[in-house]
Amino acid sequence: MPLICDNIAFTYPEAEHPLFTDVSFQLDAPGFHSFFGPSGVGKTSLAKIITGDIESFSGRVSTDEFQTLLYSHNKERLPGWSGVGRHLTRVIQPSMHLDKDRLVEIFGLSGCINSRFDRLSMGQQNRVNLVRYLLQDCDLLIMDESLANVDELTRERIILAIKEKFPDRYFIYISHNVMEVAKFCDSILVFRGNGKIPQTVMVKGCNIGQGEGLSRTALDATLLEIMNAA
Amino acid sequence: MLRRRVFQFFIIYFLFIGGLMVLKYSLGLSDYVVPAPSGMFHTLVAEYRRYSLATLNTMFVAIIGQILSVVMAFVIGILGRQSTWFGSFIKVAAYNIQGYPIVALAPILFILLGDGFLTRLLIAAMICYFPVLLSVLGIMSKPVDDIEHFYRITGRMRWQLEVKIRTFENLTQLTTVIAGSATLAMAGTIVGEFIAANAGIGYSIRIALYQSDLSKILIALFLIGITIAVYQVLLELLGLAIQRAWTGR
Repeated sequence: MPLICDNIAFTYPEAEHPLFTDVSFQLDAPGFHSFFGPSGVGKTSLAKIITGDIESFSGRVSTDEFQTLLYSHNKERLPGWSGVGRHLTRVIQPSMHLDKDRLVEIFGLSGCINSRFDRLSMGQQNRVNLVRYLLQDCDLLIMDESLANVDELTRERIILAIKEKFPDRYFIYISHNVMEVAKFCDSILVFRGNGKIPQTVMVKGCNIGQGEGLSRTALDATLLEIMNAA
Repeated sequence: MLRRRVFQFFIIYFLFIGGLMVLKYSLGLSDYVVPAPSGMFHTLVAEYRRYSLATLNTMFVAIIGQILSVVMAFVIGILGRQSTWFGSFIKVAAYNIQGYPIVALAPILFILLGDGFLTRLLIAAMICYFPVLLSVLGIMSKPVDDIEHFYRITGRMRWQLEVKIRTFENLTQLTTVIAGSATLAMAGTIVGEFIAANAGIGYSIRIALYQSDLSKILIALFLIGITIAVYQVLLELLGLAIQRAWTGR
């Protein structure tokens, strides 16, 4: 299994109670997976445990089959001394520049590629940030609310494009949009409200891809399962 | 900006002179203690050229001292930004040494190096060095996580890029600190000259003090004030030009 989390527990250094305990799950196939749940339940902390940014946890995380794990979030900024296009060209390998141009178009960024980062809207900033992460060489990319402030139609187009262009990569998409995770994700780790045991439940998503239809019944069933778990 | 700053200085200076005159005439002080306006005017006409040259001489030393101290502060600040033992050592040393009145070391420098250009330069540089160093250390030690995260996790972070990001993000603060340090450099040079130098406006003030000639001192203060105001405005304009060129705004 490429990613195994076994009995993970984590408590913030000054906190009295653990943020979560006994979280276990595994991802056995590439694709779009999700962490879903209310704010403050530990989605970002678990993501950072997986990438190794948080080390003070108990339990076992196995990522042996991954060489590179990246974590991106929606508060990141690009340096302001040059335009977005110039910055992307610098941080993306020359062999990927064609992919960059395609992604820029799909992500709806063609009109602002020469602007500086701080002149973009928040949605545009998040999309630019995601483009540079997608074109890095990695096995697992965690997208922590990376499409926040992006309209629903564009988000859908972007997620479908990512799934199509990177079929061999693992993604963990942290989102608060239940419809989105139910439709596009393969598996959804639902973080439950305080006091519920177990604290997380894994739900199977509809996992639709580019050009695939979605059965209303299947979507309703998934949504119901997620809401019941939460 | 230049006109406003000079105008502000004129207001403060003439308020001060006005206060002195009120004191002189209300207490009936003699011209020997506080000179009359006509006496001050005569001194201005007589000493204007010599004092202007002396002020420019002091300013020249102060500018070179300030450039030296800013360069040194950046070098040490960049070296000391890391959380290694060396970085911690530099920070602790800087915080402790800046608490010591550097001007008290001036006599040692005069004894060791004499009363020439080099001593004045060293005193000017030392006096404005520590405040600039503390600011640079503070800025360079503080990560800009939302920008640096990407470079760190993708293995692209180099020390040059780190310094560039932190400088860019704190450009306004750095500009203010450097412009403010001009006053410190000028004060340091004047104090140095006042103690033992053989040139500069501080030296002229010392001579005027020995002659108990308040007119000369007031003229010297006027020239110092104008020169610093102009220099600070020039530094601020330079900072604005750099900001505009770098940020595109």
